[in-house]
Amino acid sequence: MDHLTEQQPLTAADIRGLVRPDHVHRRAYADAAVFQLEQERIFSKLWIYVAHESQLKKPGDFVRTRLANYEVVVTRHTDGNIYVLQNRCPHRGARICMADRGNAKVFSCPYHAWSFRPDGTLDSVPHRQSYPEAFSYDDPQNHMQRTGRVAAYRGFVFATLNENPAPLIEHLGPMTEVIDNLVDRAPAGEIEIADSSFTLEYRGNWKLHLENAADIFHPSFVHNSSVQPARRAPANASILDQDQTREMLLANGFGTNEWETIQLNGLPGGHAFMNNIYSKGVLVGQDTDPVAVRYRAALTAKLGPERTAKVLGVNRFNNIIYPNLIINAQYQQMRVTVPISVDRTLLHVHCFRLKGAPDEMFHRAVRFLTTLGSPMSMIFSDDMEMLERCQQGLEKDVGPWIDISRGFGMEKRGTDGSVSGPASEMPMRVQFKAWVDYLTAEAA
Amino acid sequence: MLDHETQRRIELFLFEEARLLDSGQFQEWLKLYEPQGIYWMPSQPGQTDPLNVASIVYEDHAILSIRVQRLLEARALVLTPMPRTTHLVSNVEAEETPGGEFKVGAAFICVEHQADKQKIYSGRHSYQLTRLDDSFRIKMKRVNLMNSDGIHSPMAVPL
Repeated sequence: MDHLTEQQPLTAADIRGLVRPDHVHRRAYADAAVFQLEQERIFSKLWIYVAHESQLKKPGDFVRTRLANYEVVVTRHTDGNIYVLQNRCPHRGARICMADRGNAKVFSCPYHAWSFRPDGTLDSVPHRQSYPEAFSYDDPQNHMQRTGRVAAYRGFVFATLNENPAPLIEHLGPMTEVIDNLVDRAPAGEIEIADSSFTLEYRGNWKLHLENAADIFHPSFVHNSSVQPARRAPANASILDQDQTREMLLANGFGTNEWETIQLNGLPGGHAFMNNIYSKGVLVGQDTDPVAVRYRAALTAKLGPERTAKVLGVNRFNNIIYPNLIINAQYQQMRVTVPISVDRTLLHVHCFRLKGAPDEMFHRAVRFLTTLGSPMSMIFSDDMEMLERCQQGLEKDVGPWIDISRGFGMEKRGTDGSVSGPASEMPMRVQFKAWVDYLTAEAA
Repeated sequence: MLDHETQRRIELFLFEEARLLDSGQFQEWLKLYEPQGIYWMPSQPGQTDPLNVASIVYEDHAILSIRVQRLLEARALVLTPMPRTTHLVSNVEAEETPGGEFKVGAAFICVEHQADKQKIYSGRHSYQLTRLDDSFRIKMKRVNLMNSDGIHSPMAVPL
């Protein structure tokens, strides 16, 4: 095709034509035009997680991240507010901030030294007298461009390019419960994001990871290579981690009975979660575990026994906040999906410190992050391999439809969404229903 | 400065380790570690803390045994086809500690080939070695990957 030929924009009918109740067209994963529409209608219109407030405590604190197609700097200004700024100098267009996080009184462009305050306003330009008389420090055209809207829910900062977004709380819906639960687990009532994290890259569409996180059918197959050696390994042999790594590997080898008790939940808007899969050792907080006992005592001192039992009793796994955030409150873990192109995705994998909890609780959260989120993870590296193989297959124009029919028609539907057993692909159907809704919604 | 022979023995020990990794003899590789030996690949340059800071790998002999079995027997998806590697170790600098152990630094490059992809890893190793008869055992191997805090795709074979 002539590269100058204008491609017809995708219509709502085109999008609806990609999703059947129990099948999805491969173009949903492999068509760059679909990806572009996702950037416009999903990653520009929905609330997107951009930072945690513990990274933005003092004026000048900043985090560099991505919002839809843009690189942005999320800042805390001296007025106490959080701003999202385009990482571009209005003078000659150069990228300004080259660090992922830090503190800066001003952002100074190294090219001709325009400098900007954390709210984006212009602080100074050298040789002011050579600019036209009309040149104004107050003109937004001379500022680092503020972009979108910002809202936070209990420390989790979201942004959107949508001029007229639904309130954040409405978008999160019942998923506020997992953020509440994560924060409520801190005896001091506050959590802090850990300084260290991983950024992983896979050559595949962003949706593949979201679907994998809602799929509890694959672990028996994909993770067998770590389940089997972990089963043969002696218990409590490690001097480093109270057997946490081995227990985490073992957890993917379900007995039929425990697997059958897992329940999947799909919510309007594309959110999903499942019951927890880790049920042994230091991952549980048993009475025989001195760290867990001290932690529970600290939390009880703050919340009282009844509420403590309630908070620690929440046992949901892979809480997926559409379109790009996955939280595991009981292990203080978070994953953020960043789509780069139709076939390339970054994952930021983080953990949190529960303030007021014993230090060992944080060590365990760090251990969890290493075991599951490291590029050498004996679990997740195999997931990433499968996501890449899916993409490689989906790029080939053979048999355009792929299957999401398992458990179709067997889920229970309520006002709050759908519930199914572990074998169901209901969460993927829920995600794709939301996907169609977002992509075909009239521009606000 | 170490005497020439000890320096040479240490170098040969590192070359043996590299050869065992390249030839897929992971069980033999693990035998180079002390029963409580540790393999550590930090996630941050200059990282000193393995408890409060995440690591790419922080494993003792017991966990490494699981990793090695996975490499050898279990056909992990990320290991199909099995990657081929060339581990190069150079710039070896060793000194004896007052406790009779050896502190060794070395530069490394590892080229990994798998299916249609070739990747290059590089950085510096630092070892704590103990003497065992004519040879050595690894008490701690720290792999300071040059891009430890960068963007990573899955990594398969130990460096």
